Amino acid sequence: MENGEVQQRILQFIKARFPRAKKRNVDPSSALLESGIIDSLGMLDVVSMLEKDFGIAVLDEELVRDNFQTIAHIAEFVSRKSERKG
Amino acid sequence: MDFLLHHMLCTTAHRFPDKEALVHGHERLKYADVLRSVSGLAQALREIGIKRGDRVGIFLEHSVAQVIAIFGISYAGAVYVPINCLLFPNQLAHIAASCGMRVLITANSKLGSLLLVLPKIPTLEFVVTLSDSEAPSTPLRRFDFDEMTRNAVPRTWVDWGISRDLAAILYTSGSTGKPKGVMLSHANIMAGASIVSAYLEITDDDRILAVLPFSFDAGLNQLTTAFQKGSCLVLMNFVFAQEILQTLSEERITGLAGVPTLWTLLTQPNSGLLKQSFPDLRYITNTGGAMPQSVLSILRRALPSSKIYLMYGLTEAFRSTYLRPEELERRPTSIGKAIPDTEILVLRDDGTRCLPGEVGELVHRGPTVFMGYWNDPALTEKTLQANRVAPAEVGREEKVCYSGDLVMADDEGFFYYVGRRDTMIKSSGFRISPTEVEEILFQSGVVRDAAVVGVPDGMLGQAIKAFVVPQEGRVDPDELLAFCAERLPKYMVPKFIEVIPDLPKTNSGKVDYSELQRREGYESGL
Repeated sequence: MENGEVQQRILQFIKARFPRAKKRNVDPSSALLESGIIDSLGMLDVVSMLEKDFGIAVLDEELVRDNFQTIAHIAEFVSRKSERKG
Repeated sequence: MDFLLHHMLCTTAHRFPDKEALVHGHERLKYADVLRSVSGLAQALREIGIKRGDRVGIFLEHSVAQVIAIFGISYAGAVYVPINCLLFPNQLAHIAASCGMRVLITANSKLGSLLLVLPKIPTLEFVVTLSDSEAPSTPLRRFDFDEMTRNAVPRTWVDWGISRDLAAILYTSGSTGKPKGVMLSHANIMAGASIVSAYLEITDDDRILAVLPFSFDAGLNQLTTAFQKGSCLVLMNFVFAQEILQTLSEERITGLAGVPTLWTLLTQPNSGLLKQSFPDLRYITNTGGAMPQSVLSILRRALPSSKIYLMYGLTEAFRSTYLRPEELERRPTSIGKAIPDTEILVLRDDGTRCLPGEVGELVHRGPTVFMGYWNDPALTEKTLQANRVAPAEVGREEKVCYSGDLVMADDEGFFYYVGRRDTMIKSSGFRISPTEVEEILFQSGVVRDAAVVGVPDGMLGQAIKAFVVPQEGRVDPDELLAFCAERLPKYMVPKFIEVIPDLPKTNSGKVDYSELQRREGYESGL
């Protein structure tokens, strides 16, 4: 799957799941954590969506801010994981 | 003799000047450093004209500066008003205007978003800011926080207040209307620190991890117990459970306080909790709602050498009860018994005592009972009442705190939480007023009628559900949720919205909240 496509899938999920993302112009570079769009509990939902929709297993040590700052970061993380798997 | 909040810091700094007091990220301060900054800030506040009892707001993330501000304001003789960083500018403005705030301590990066609401706070004269970014221009006089903390303190310092004076106002939601200011005296806060540090057996060997905000009484209590005993307080903001676990290990944390959502996060299968051991972690405490039993059993397995304290408290009386760890096995759903130097009564509506097994209102008697609600004598009179079951020699002057929480006691005097007497919602450790959420729903303009209730939720304790009646046509629940999310802090945004043709009403025409809760399968004590 293309990186852009991955970004779109994540963006759609976030817009549908988090009310605060809907009204704001969230794009792949928007800060998700600092802006309060997604909190700790919300991130759990994002992780289970990634595991389900992209068929990856997120390891404990990968649950760090660097992988989840923005949609671009998440998509890059997913691509990295998928490559390793493929 | 220590009788004002900052006295505990002065005493500890003289006992342990070189001991680590505060850690946040790469910042590490000793007690002598903390006292120097605190007294410097106090002197600077007096120089700009702070008077005894002036209200000074603190709108900062968890940080060293936040701790310096709390103690510095007390040292100066003023009253501190902590404001949760999750709040929106309008809510901050309500709090600031309500308490007649004169000074606001915040960060340049936050000031920009507040510019529009500052004119709504007529009493506000100064802002004191952290220079974390360029300062936006404001019509108010602005001072630099760090510069203020570097002030020299005169050799003779005179405290202005006594222990019965107001030390802090903590804003919290009631069942109706806007947040109310809970007034705490220095004596309240000092007693809270002594009582809690006694039963948690806190000493100067402890290293306490603070993740709860200081605008929340249990969070504040971690700070005061640590500083009273000379422990080290480690501050952190987190997103992932991993970050907490890492800090527990790296900082050799001995004590951690949390609310149910924090424990739920930590016990998720991917948190890593069960793969590590935490031999230093002496105790954990839960407050702000019942801990789900499934979570509790994972924690007991994961932390075999840590004592688990289940506590119950309300801002108006700080902490009220706790369950001794050795009782956990036998009664994991109990909130325990009264904290030291405190009597907990369970009373019927007529003011007489309930029998074991009978549900009544929890009434708190002791030195942590608050002074009243700021500028709200009617609500104060309802909450602080004479002790009708007091021995004759105590008389009717002493006030006890009516919690609004329904509880019952078993034959051995252990208490169990049953529910709320009113419509207030308790979700993820926060108290939420249905009317505050309803007000925003009405502001959307698409809703003719709205009622908000708490529904059972495994993770949050209660989740917020809104019932709405459309103005005309149809209402898109997703659009309405998005509207709320732009105007309310996350913990106040409904999880569910249900569109219904009409709200159930009582005979007197008021919304029948108990009927709505019954529909949600809630057997409340209403």
